Amino acid sequence: MHTGAPTSVLSQQQMWFNWRSAAILILPVAIVAVLPLLPFVNNYIIAATVRALIFISLGQAWNVVAGIGGQLSLGHGVFLGIGCYTTGILFNKYGIPPWVGGWVGVLLAMAVALVMGSMTLRMRGVFFALATVAVSLALVQLSRHFVDLTGGADGLALNFIGNSVWAMQSRTPAVFLYAALAFVVAYYWITRWILASRLGLEMQAVRDDEVAAAAAGVAVFRTKLVGFTLSAAMTALAAVLYMQFYMAIDPEAAFGLGTAIQLQLPALIGGLGTAAGPIIGGAIMIFLSESTNWGGAKVGIEGLDILIYGLMLLLVVLRAPTGVVGWLQAMRQSGSGR
Amino acid sequence: MSAALALEVRDVARNFGGLQALRNVSFTVRQGEVMGLIGPNGAGKSTLFEIISGNVKPSAGSIFYFGTDCTNVPPHLRRRQGMCRTFQKVRLFESMTVAENIRVAASQSVPPDRSVDEEVAAVLAQFRLEAQATRRPSELTLADRKRVEIGRALAGRCRLLMLDESMSGLTHEEAEHLIVEILALNRTRGITVIVVEHVLSVLAAMVSRLVVLHNATVIADGTPTEIAHDPQVVEAYLGTKQRALR
Repeated sequence: MHTGAPTSVLSQQQMWFNWRSAAILILPVAIVAVLPLLPFVNNYIIAATVRALIFISLGQAWNVVAGIGGQLSLGHGVFLGIGCYTTGILFNKYGIPPWVGGWVGVLLAMAVALVMGSMTLRMRGVFFALATVAVSLALVQLSRHFVDLTGGADGLALNFIGNSVWAMQSRTPAVFLYAALAFVVAYYWITRWILASRLGLEMQAVRDDEVAAAAAGVAVFRTKLVGFTLSAAMTALAAVLYMQFYMAIDPEAAFGLGTAIQLQLPALIGGLGTAAGPIIGGAIMIFLSESTNWGGAKVGIEGLDILIYGLMLLLVVLRAPTGVVGWLQAMRQSGSGR
Repeated sequence: MSAALALEVRDVARNFGGLQALRNVSFTVRQGEVMGLIGPNGAGKSTLFEIISGNVKPSAGSIFYFGTDCTNVPPHLRRRQGMCRTFQKVRLFESMTVAENIRVAASQSVPPDRSVDEEVAAVLAQFRLEAQATRRPSELTLADRKRVEIGRALAGRCRLLMLDESMSGLTHEEAEHLIVEILALNRTRGITVIVVEHVLSVLAAMVSRLVVLHNATVIADGTPTEIAHDPQVVEAYLGTKQRALR
């Protein structure tokens, strides 16, 4: 049998790890890692960085189903909420630490994703997106209704017991900085691994053309369901960090449409379906948000960050529909083409 | 002894609301045969293709694939059993490279005697696509895009290849090249081929048998010569001057 094509061409799908990508990642990771050691960096800056990293990791999770798989879920707040509420309820009511409660939340989120996905993933495009919004809105009402369990509209506050590894609690935001950084790095490599795997290839095929994917032998529905469930699990796992850092969750923060949009922005701005996209997008998003919020407060304009979010989305849609990564790739290609 | 049946379409009908797209369509395709499916626009060729490949369910009737009823088998499982197809309008995975397009199909049903990498390499070599392996479909010519689609259809297990107007849009020379490649596959690998084509002169040079669809049903089934002289076909499809056969 003729196998004349170069191995690098044929095996590129398997190359999820390479030293070049690792080297590129080292600089931003090192900068974030030394932040707490710098004299001019206060707790506010560290907390803002933690918030950014948490939303980047949530964006990385959403990127799996929407960016790689092409299923534009607007209901991923469901899995954030399930992760947060499960961890919080198990800790407050039964004393179960988040080390265990978090995994219960992940399993619950996966179970919900399987049921939700089975009902919605046969729909296409906007119908799927609307169905996921409907589930989210239903959960807003449900979490308001079961006041004893969830705290109702007021939300659920974690019982604070002080610095404790067992309870995953700390007064120092730097602890969360390292935890969140670990999440972002881990999710970056998980995304690269998915992209390089057979599952990733199938998810991209389904994203590009469902009919052609089926004609190539891809089990379209099963592929969508696996991607959706995997993304849900990643969201619920990152939700543990969210809950331990914010120490509280309420129905709107978990299942609201605002949260759903926030989860999407890192990947949309940075580049859908790419491993680096949500990191770049999240960094840009939080920098603009924090600086405009600060600037807005100085000039007495509250909520300027929300306005900036909207403008950024508009800018992305109009000028860089493939995100920053896609824009950079296009620039590089046009540069090399000259 | 005659060859086994690769495909049997038995009394297939399909209605879309009040429109009858197919009625009582029956024919068989022998293993290793190269068969053409022709008919004027609206005759039901595309609907029949979609029913055979599993994308559309028939309102009545059955599809048998190598003796097994596959009427209710989903398209991806038919593909894994070796029922392969192309599309009237080329449908490639546009975000992927040529090699990745082929890899998607190769990884679903790679033969046990070779790896996915070997299968991808073999398909690239067979269709002389090695130089385009890392390119995206948008960078290719129409002829190359069609070859990638046929390559993807053949990757992995392929026993029945269904080509939906794969020659349309190609120059005469490109079409001839493609025909040679398809006939070689039929000869060397014993792949059964069904071709839907409008250019009858191309089809006549390629197939040993023609099935003619008209007004949602089969009106003729025979060799190209028999079909060319069938008065019903001449009247319904070719026209009295037989211009399409030229």
